[in-house]
Amino acid sequence: MSSPHPTGGWPARLAIARRDLLEFIRDRRALFITLVMPMAMYPLLALSSTLGIRTAIFELDRRAESQRLDFVFSGTNAEPLAIRIGMLAEREEGRPEGWPETITARVVDPQSAQSLIDEGAADAWIDVPSGSLSKLDGAGTLPLEVRLSTVRPPDRRVKENVLAVMRGLADEARLIRLRRAGLPASLIEPLRVNFTGDVPQGSAAAVRDILPAVTAAVLVLLALLTATGAFYPAIDAIAGEKERGTIETLLISPCPMFDVVTGKFLAVFAVTLATLAANAISIVLTSTVLSRFLPGGFASGLGAGDLAACGLLTLLSYAGLAAVASALCLTVTAAAKSAKEAQNTLTPVVMLIAALAGVALVPGVEGRLWLPAVPFAGHVAVAKSMLSTFGGWGHVGPTVDGAAPQSSMELPVALAISVLSSIALTWLLLTVTAQIVANEEILFRGPEEATRGFRRPPHRSMPTVWQGCGVVAMGFAALWYAQGLAPGEFVPALIVQQSVAVLLPLLAVAWWQRVDARDAFAIRLPGGSWPRAGAALAGAALLGSGLFVIGAAVALAAWRGEVSPEARQFANQIVDLIQRSPTWATVLALAVMPAVCEELFFRGWVLSAFVGSRPTGRRAVVAVVAQAAAFAAFHLLPERMPQTFVMGLVLGGLVLATGSILPAIVAHAAHNATPVLLVAAASPAELDALTISTPGLPAWAVGAALGCLVVGAALLALARQRSHPEANVT
Amino acid sequence: MIEVRDLVKEYRAGGGKTVRAVDGVSFHVADGEMVGLLGGNGAGKTTTMRIVATLLTPTSGMARVAGHDVRTDPIGVRRSLGYVSATTGVADRLSPREVLDSSGRLHGIERRLLADRIASLTASLDLGSFLDRPCGRLSSGQRQRVSLARALVHDPPALVLDEPTSTLDVVGARDLFAMLQSLRAEGRTILVSTHRLHEIEYRCDRFVIIDAGRIVAAGSRAELVADRSGGLEEAFFATIGGGAA
Repeated sequence: MSSPHPTGGWPARLAIARRDLLEFIRDRRALFITLVMPMAMYPLLALSSTLGIRTAIFELDRRAESQRLDFVFSGTNAEPLAIRIGMLAEREEGRPEGWPETITARVVDPQSAQSLIDEGAADAWIDVPSGSLSKLDGAGTLPLEVRLSTVRPPDRRVKENVLAVMRGLADEARLIRLRRAGLPASLIEPLRVNFTGDVPQGSAAAVRDILPAVTAAVLVLLALLTATGAFYPAIDAIAGEKERGTIETLLISPCPMFDVVTGKFLAVFAVTLATLAANAISIVLTSTVLSRFLPGGFASGLGAGDLAACGLLTLLSYAGLAAVASALCLTVTAAAKSAKEAQNTLTPVVMLIAALAGVALVPGVEGRLWLPAVPFAGHVAVAKSMLSTFGGWGHVGPTVDGAAPQSSMELPVALAISVLSSIALTWLLLTVTAQIVANEEILFRGPEEATRGFRRPPHRSMPTVWQGCGVVAMGFAALWYAQGLAPGEFVPALIVQQSVAVLLPLLAVAWWQRVDARDAFAIRLPGGSWPRAGAALAGAALLGSGLFVIGAAVALAAWRGEVSPEARQFANQIVDLIQRSPTWATVLALAVMPAVCEELFFRGWVLSAFVGSRPTGRRAVVAVVAQAAAFAAFHLLPERMPQTFVMGLVLGGLVLATGSILPAIVAHAAHNATPVLLVAAASPAELDALTISTPGLPAWAVGAALGCLVVGAALLALARQRSHPEANVT
Repeated sequence: MIEVRDLVKEYRAGGGKTVRAVDGVSFHVADGEMVGLLGGNGAGKTTTMRIVATLLTPTSGMARVAGHDVRTDPIGVRRSLGYVSATTGVADRLSPREVLDSSGRLHGIERRLLADRIASLTASLDLGSFLDRPCGRLSSGQRQRVSLARALVHDPPALVLDEPTSTLDVVGARDLFAMLQSLRAEGRTILVSTHRLHEIEYRCDRFVIIDAGRIVAAGSRAELVADRSGGLEEAFFATIGGGAA
């Protein structure tokens, strides 16, 4: 029996990676889907999109051809007007913008003109009334009715051409009138602008214009497809091993769990990188082919060398994406017992990656320092910047969405942030994965527990953390759909939102999980006696009101009158509602209803779930912060999030301090009722001064609010001296 | 070599209940000894073996292999132990050579030494005819031999085998126990569990009978069947309180 050898570390990680890769490359179906499919998919995608692009180009060419305008004239003054337009067409100087290249004018009788228009043989028909020219050259206004062809495809350019011709005619008439009055022509032309320089023209220019947007879309698609490359090997790496019964023999190897997981990550990462390379190569080759179909001159601007450089730059910036995607897929599938279960858990990951990658395309985010640190969004943004700077079409436009380009100094910083954040996130995810795999309750989870989801669980006093997270996820989904279901009116919309997004998921889950409502929602008297409860509720009301005023003062000072249109519309809706409705009804709708629903949701169910039945101080802090973050996110408007987050912290602390949800409901209601009562009591002049653009609140209001906070806190402290024993956090 | 004392393992079951799968188990396996861990399904054999193999952490009590504690020195335990599970645990798409090579690398064995070790195991466990064939195409007996070779690749002094014959036919089971006998003759310590008593009745030095997480009897065959008519199977049923089949 031999002596022990040094184990673990990189040799062990590489041994596991080699073993997993050997297994992967022998699964031909997985190999085909992961690596060969992209090579076939992009040409197919390009073929279908080329059809669209060619159709668009054809349409552009057709429009370019539609610089020709076919007029028909009828009526007694038709011929002189046609001659006048013909003379204008021959004179090339001083024609207004949009003047067609070629104009044909036919003078026919009205029946023939009608026929020509009906057959589509002419673009526009003008029946010129008698005395038109004398009116045009005189001092009156000539009314002309232009009938456009209804047979030809609708084309706004025809109308623009007709208007240009009519403008030219009117300019000519103005000059004649000025000459007759002995006035100089410059009287009506105070300014003349001439452009110099080369402006791209035609369909090639149009294609160049849309190229950055197409590139950005392809980058997002590439991010998604690169991440999908991690799916199969990640499923196979842990869940597959559990299913095949080979995980135990791996876990008894003399290596720390982190080394085992890192070895598996290296295998998944290698496959993901290969998928990325396959996708990038396919995109480059497809682009080379595609560029030949694009209008003349464009293909010469983007050579094979440029495309190869683009491919390499994308590979460089997406290596971090491949690492994060590999680690994320491993983490998500680590708890799964079978490949099928792992596949199901990866479905939301696809949506998450697509949503995050899409953030890079949101107007206005480019160039932000935090963006490269956001997984997937940062990788797409850095790739966009790199391609824009070095990839051969940086000269076309500043950046993809028109924002200022990143300078050569900013790009390395963005790349460094992206790489470092990818490494940190990957390490974090692998650490979490190692903990999940080492968790023996997950590792040896029996089949009876795996299928338990469809049975109502036995009665319990408090919800679990998963149940808390589940309700938040359901609430977000319901909130999203409630936006579409809600009626246009503000109050009915609020009722639908509160009932569909807040109460419905809460009641459904609480019923299904058979949770004790009193414990889960902390429905009990604060302070243990009626006098102390009264003090606690009064203190909570003062705290809520004071918080609103202080929050508003801070927010107004921070915004300095600059808020999003959505926030302004929200504020206007509220002011309008308060002015239109009875105060009691507004307080009920804006203060009481949200306070009851949202407090039961966040400070009731979610906080109970996160805190647990035996809370420690650290867990309580994490729980309060987590539910406050969810509460803030629920309010959707970024401007409201800091205030709602602080409000969530205070209300969460209030529930833990008093052991009851009632003070939180009262504080929340008072917080929301304060602006209602202030606006209802204010005169129109005071209301104008209290608009959202106001730089700050009066000092007396802030002083009064601080007083409310102090007195409220004192009353709560008094009530807490005999708070519920369960309120104390150990 | 293997020492288990007051071992307790509790699981959290559904509905917040706690299930005690192993309840104060104590036994030892001396150097060069082969001990059979007997019990019905759900008796706690696999849980005990997984604790010894460091796959599970005990709720309380102690387990040691070659002086290494499963809690404080799991890496030391894994270096001293070869583990064979009922499912064989060999990857279908790898060949026996690759399985052994991979396992040897994980144990940090130097490449040339590993090649020698694989050659030695191939000869002693008769793997030569299928050494480079994918494990997915091997018979159950061949797969179990690969699994045993994998457990031995780092030359451990102790072996733990959890129901190694559950997927084998009579011939395969006999061959496997013949191999275990020769391994014991080499001086290795072996702890093997099974519920097919006739297979090991005359092959183990001692037996530990476990039922509902507790040891109900322990000793040599002679000690267990003493004062009773019949063999080990009758003694087993008598100790766990069930009727003979």
